[in-house]
Amino acid sequence: MPMEFLGRLPIPNLRVYVTISVVILSFSIYYATQIIKDPAWKTNHTHVDVGLHSGGDIDPTDPRSLGTHLKELLECMVMEPVCVWTLVNTGYCMLILLGKTIQKLVFGELRASENYHLKDKFWNFLFYKFIFVFGVLNVQYMDEIVLWCVWFLALGFLSLLSQLCKDRFEYLSFSPTTPGWSHARLLVLLTAILVLSSFMLLFCIAAAFFFISFNTFAFMAAECILLGVRTIHVMLRYLIHLYDTRGAGTSTQRSWDKRGPLTYYTDLISELIVLAVDFFHHVHMLLWSNIFLSMASLVICMQLRYLFYEIQRRITKHRNYLAVLNHMEQNYPMASQDELAENSDNCAICWEKMESARKLPCTHLFHNSCLQSWLEQDTSCPTCRLGLSMQANHRENTLEIPPEPQTPTRRNSNHFFLFLDASRYVSWLPSFSVEVSHNRLRGNISTFTHTNSQMDAMARQVQLLFPHYPRSIILEDLRMTRSVEWTIENILDGVLTIPHHLIEEPQEESVPQMETIVTNIMPNSSIQNSSDPRFDIPIADSGEEPSSLGGRFSKSSAERELILQRRKEHMRLTARRRYLEKHRKSEIDSTNSQITNTENIENTIS
Amino acid sequence: MAGSALRRLMAEYKQLTLNPPEGIIAGPINEENFFEWEALITGPEGTCFEGGVFPAKLIFPPDYPLSPPKMQFTCEMFHPNIYADGRVCISILHAPGDDPMGYESSAERWSPVQSVEKILLSVVSMLAEPNDESGANVDAAKMWRDDREEFEKIAQKLVRKTLGIPP
Repeated sequence: MPMEFLGRLPIPNLRVYVTISVVILSFSIYYATQIIKDPAWKTNHTHVDVGLHSGGDIDPTDPRSLGTHLKELLECMVMEPVCVWTLVNTGYCMLILLGKTIQKLVFGELRASENYHLKDKFWNFLFYKFIFVFGVLNVQYMDEIVLWCVWFLALGFLSLLSQLCKDRFEYLSFSPTTPGWSHARLLVLLTAILVLSSFMLLFCIAAAFFFISFNTFAFMAAECILLGVRTIHVMLRYLIHLYDTRGAGTSTQRSWDKRGPLTYYTDLISELIVLAVDFFHHVHMLLWSNIFLSMASLVICMQLRYLFYEIQRRITKHRNYLAVLNHMEQNYPMASQDELAENSDNCAICWEKMESARKLPCTHLFHNSCLQSWLEQDTSCPTCRLGLSMQANHRENTLEIPPEPQTPTRRNSNHFFLFLDASRYVSWLPSFSVEVSHNRLRGNISTFTHTNSQMDAMARQVQLLFPHYPRSIILEDLRMTRSVEWTIENILDGVLTIPHHLIEEPQEESVPQMETIVTNIMPNSSIQNSSDPRFDIPIADSGEEPSSLGGRFSKSSAERELILQRRKEHMRLTARRRYLEKHRKSEIDSTNSQITNTENIENTIS
Repeated sequence: MAGSALRRLMAEYKQLTLNPPEGIIAGPINEENFFEWEALITGPEGTCFEGGVFPAKLIFPPDYPLSPPKMQFTCEMFHPNIYADGRVCISILHAPGDDPMGYESSAERWSPVQSVEKILLSVVSMLAEPNDESGANVDAAKMWRDDREEFEKIAQKLVRKTLGIPP
């Protein structure tokens, strides 16, 4: 790859580059002023040396005004090949500075992968454009080269920015806590890129009417369209994502089933457009470069091959998508309202509530889009691994397994079923005793449907009766049962227990602490009396978990991070203390036995 | 894509925080990137890893839970099913398609109904009962089979190391 080699080239840093550019610019300006001091420079500007020498002794009484002076200076610089390149370089330098400013304003510090992508894209761009200008167009004249350079400068700048936006968007979508204004800045930048690229497209259309050939127009327009479509793609995905996360709560539940196909088709269409335009662009280049057996055509052929495979891959993927969709629609009916009501569980794939679902032959229910995306990559039920035949003969025998007779119970035990799995893993853990209630408690976590205030009101009702129960536990159970009576029943039955780490938690709801009598699942080791100097652990941390730790899932991410950090520290400290204690005990035991041994010996001696 | 993965991870994080399984803590290191978690796993009691607190990193793909996360211990480990660089080799972490060892049945593989909690519990059980058929670390597998005492000695050394206790 060319960029890997180029990436290692020693590139001066920004400050050095800017300084060099400024120096070169001032030199060329000086050079140009020297030339235009001679009023007759226009006639002999091709003989630079002569002009320079004769310009040395000019009369100070130059009649030209400052305005015309500047105009001539500029004219001279554009005419002069060396000066033109300096100007282009200056433009490039200013673009870099502008880019740097935008980066500071919008992106802040770039991440390593973004930097890598940027560099990669930059060298790639340079490489292909070089081939384009010298291999395909075979440009002969200096001014043409300059024009192309300026064009690609603008284009490359915008496409680099667009690439950066794409990377940053993907990164931001990894975090639930991104502040709104960083989204806004990114969107503004994307809009600006889009507007500029459409201006560039308009510019080429205008140019096509007046001075450039159709071929040149096609080359230029293709690049603009590529840039524009890519930018629109990022923007659309961004908007879908924002709608998805910002409108969370009520609206997402409804839009869930539409979201999957929407994202999918946005991706499909824009990717196919980009690939097709790129493909024809390259075909055009290949046909245009009249020397077929050249390095340039070789490179273009390679690129064409890659693009062709990409298009093929994308279409195969889409066929698969359609086949799965078709298969699902034919074989797996939508679950009826009764079935949904019977099954209080969430979708096992996304852990969100199901308003509508598809039913597999094994009676497991999933969201339509969740199931779809899973079946695209594997043909078995996610929960019970029942093989689902996509094609006619594929795994036919596995489908023969008769569906479970007792449908509703089986369905309800989705989590329970897996929980058994887990208990198999943990069965040898001595202190791990889990009741069904525990399972009930943890079975259901992400029902965001009930509004918080409603839940709070219900929790308060329960807490009036059972003040010693922490609010979080009650809320958790309420999310399961969705009824005050059931939760109370759970408490009365002793099904609802307080995890031990919650017992010592000082409740914000001012729950009397002495009433925390409820079952301790784990034996609390007596760790407070650690006066041994070897236990170089601060006493303050010993014993109970720091109060702000367990049982609470804070709304603020900073607090969550802090709590997690503390919990980890606490776990480490406790483990360390236990370890030391145990080993000390065994040491003491051994010394004790030694002592008794010696005593025995003494006794026998005496 | 990342949106639904994010919601699911958030739900799992919440569950793991509110109802933590014993001896296991897991959560994103930094919430700016919710796709990179750190987990602490306590060595199971009654085994040679008893008492240790082993840190591991979990990296989730953008299409989680359709694809499994990657798990890697960030402390030194010596175990038949853990590569020398800390990567964990258990069937639950393998997508149904790929089969590096060529023996796992697809029933044990990753499926979207698995979760972080189940992965970590499987890892705990793996610590207790190594599977010496899949040799991620051949030396460890051999020692586990032939010289159990030496293996336990090394394990205890690692336990002390994770706790910061000089041997």
